[in-house]
Amino acid sequence: MRIFDPHIHMTSRTTDDYEAMYSAGVRALVEPAFWLGQPRTNVGSYLDYFDGLIGWERFRAAQFGIRHHCTIALNPKEANDPRCREVMPHLGRYLAKDGVVAVGETGYDSMTPEEDEVFRQHLALGIEHALPVMVHTPHRDKAAGTRRTLDVIAESGIDPAFVVVDHLNETTVEAVADSGSWMGFSIYPDTKMDEARMVAILQRIGLERVLINSAADWGRSDPLKTLRTGRLMLESGFSEADVDRVLWQNPVAFYGQSGRLNLDAVPGFKAHAAAAEGRTFEGNSVLRGVPAARG
Amino acid sequence: MTVDASDPTPPGGPVWGYGTNGFADHPLESALDVLEGTGYGAVALTLGHPHLDPFADDWREQTALLGDSLRRRGLRVVIETGARYLLDPFVKHRPTLVDAECGARLEFLGRAIQIADLLGADAVSLWSGVLPADTTAEDGWARLIERMRGVVERATHAGVRLALEPEPGMLVETVADALRLREELGSPDALGITIDLGHCVVVEPHGVDGALRAAGELLLNVQVDDMRSERHEHLELGTGELDLPLALRTLAEIGYTGIAAVELPRHSHDAPRLAAASLEAIRAASPTAVSAVNAASPSPRLSLSSPASPPDASGTTPPHAWTLTAGESVRSDPARIDALFAAAGREVGRDPLAGDADPLGLVHGTEDDRARAHLIAVLAASAEPATLAETLDRLYRYGDDAERRGVLVGLNGLVAAGLPDDRLGEAATAAGLELVRDALRANDPRLVAAAMGPFGAAHLDPHAWRHGVLKLVFMEVPLAVAARLDERRDAELERMADGFARERRAASRPVSDDVLALLPRDRVTADADR
Repeated sequence: MRIFDPHIHMTSRTTDDYEAMYSAGVRALVEPAFWLGQPRTNVGSYLDYFDGLIGWERFRAAQFGIRHHCTIALNPKEANDPRCREVMPHLGRYLAKDGVVAVGETGYDSMTPEEDEVFRQHLALGIEHALPVMVHTPHRDKAAGTRRTLDVIAESGIDPAFVVVDHLNETTVEAVADSGSWMGFSIYPDTKMDEARMVAILQRIGLERVLINSAADWGRSDPLKTLRTGRLMLESGFSEADVDRVLWQNPVAFYGQSGRLNLDAVPGFKAHAAAAEGRTFEGNSVLRGVPAARG
Repeated sequence: MTVDASDPTPPGGPVWGYGTNGFADHPLESALDVLEGTGYGAVALTLGHPHLDPFADDWREQTALLGDSLRRRGLRVVIETGARYLLDPFVKHRPTLVDAECGARLEFLGRAIQIADLLGADAVSLWSGVLPADTTAEDGWARLIERMRGVVERATHAGVRLALEPEPGMLVETVADALRLREELGSPDALGITIDLGHCVVVEPHGVDGALRAAGELLLNVQVDDMRSERHEHLELGTGELDLPLALRTLAEIGYTGIAAVELPRHSHDAPRLAAASLEAIRAASPTAVSAVNAASPSPRLSLSSPASPPDASGTTPPHAWTLTAGESVRSDPARIDALFAAAGREVGRDPLAGDADPLGLVHGTEDDRARAHLIAVLAASAEPATLAETLDRLYRYGDDAERRGVLVGLNGLVAAGLPDDRLGEAATAAGLELVRDALRANDPRLVAAAMGPFGAAHLDPHAWRHGVLKLVFMEVPLAVAARLDERRDAELERMADGFARERRAASRPVSDDVLALLPRDRVTADADR
């Protein structure tokens, strides 16, 4: 099974996760820019985070054979903090970077006017940079928030095929399907979807424009949810081609619209080396270095 | 023969050129700047608008100035006579040698011969013309023979050669037609053949190789373009049906050493990119082809604009088309470098230059390293010193890992190319040093490797440099990346290496050859005995 996880927050995950993901078949992912749990209080903190998404985290993923891409935006929650709003003028510079495949995560958290303004600005940036937009739907008052989200998307003039509306469930999927945008589902314990409900939805609406992700982050979450969903699909009568369509081809098609995906195998990466050799640098085992010419 | 005998024509190869009719949106000197900078050795000059008016009052003066320019740049030239509305503003290409009235064409060709003589051009290239509706083929042919006699005589008298080009739809449409015409004229020395490779795809019964061989020693001029067999439309190389490798092999086999110029008269809007891309396509179609370019047109300007490749990089292959165009962009506006730096990886790829032997490109670099290094080289050659320092800093500060590496590799390239410190400037050197120190704190081996290259070796203080060497060893980055290692190593470094070796042995871990190479001689022997 080859897997592309289109929504996962790797800055919060360990190298064990990277190894497990690689073994499970994950070869590429998209890490959306989001909030960290502890609020940011200034622009510099944001810029360093973005730098990490295009720099260190990409490198870290490559050490485990995985191609890392990211999205950049001011997330909905922090759109309410004037100190964080100051990051908006800097987004353009990041949106030009290699590995940045979309504007996001954007959308609503509590449906405030500030969130609304920033959401519209993000959609405009997507249009300006010809990049897709990754939209997060709120967890509270989700159905109303999703409807409002779709209205704003329609008003922006962006091509609906350039937008994915994420964290959908049974009550929001139809509206998004009708809008022509892509539908994102996060298979996340307790608060979002689970594999069984996901498969039920697939049986109802089919595979077209569906993105499935683990949204694994700093909370209780599982970066292998994509694999588990794929397995359940097979058990439920879907074919291997169907699984490949949903877990690989769909995210590639959606994010490929950026023209920035790099799906080449990581040069010099040997899967077994990561686990077996355990070379360290000052105790930090992330750094494998290049296989020595003599080795 | 008017070809300058001192031309450094390389043995066994055509001199690659480009047609000015594909640079109609550039003033002539600018077009020549681009062609020279791209690496061409010749130009196919179409007389007329917009570049050189053969009927202007000062045509001699303009021709003389052009001649000086071409000589300075080391460019050979062939004269093309295919301007569309030079002789009749209403009807394209007319009158021709097969029209009833063709005084204007004869006068034009006469002037072209004079210009070719003044410039020392390889030849004047011409075509026959489309048979007019009211003329039979026999009559058309008879006219052509009669007019050609006169033109050949003028050329012979001036010591200039003519090259007749078969054109789809014209009376002389194939090489066979041209050869027949030449024979009927008594096989004059002054008359040879031009072959357009793309045309062969449309009209030649024996394909491009058959046509080239049929022309053989009479081949005086070649035009290079792609074409689809159903339409006479000049296309970018690689987008039609021409077997370019076959054409190049055949040119080599028949021993052609004249000009072969890319002809894309409907692509002036995209000229710089196509100039670079076409040369790249030629290179790709024949590995030996482009060495001819560098030999034929050495120029002092070229050494500043050529890519500053990292040491050991395969610097003999010319840079990617995108890189050259991007370099020109930076030269005209240094502020463009930021966006180009960000885009380099996806434009030229990120493949390691030495393949599997060096998969991260630590020792030999990657394609995008090369591209960014070229942009830094152009910046260093063309920007103010203060701008240079500030730009290096900005590119690094706001760059992702690949862009940061690009800055460092660029600095290494400048040092490796022997650029004196005063060219780099105090400010840029100081800025570079800060970047190198920042990179040495990083955990990305590509940044650390680049930081220990020629620039770091030249400017780091001994303590920082020694720690850099040890960090390379820790990260298992081959010490080949450390420039001036033998020059700078000292007893202190040997002591540090020895300490590291002891730690490894205490942990029952192997001691690498690189570490052993850092130890004092007697210690190495002791280790080898274990």
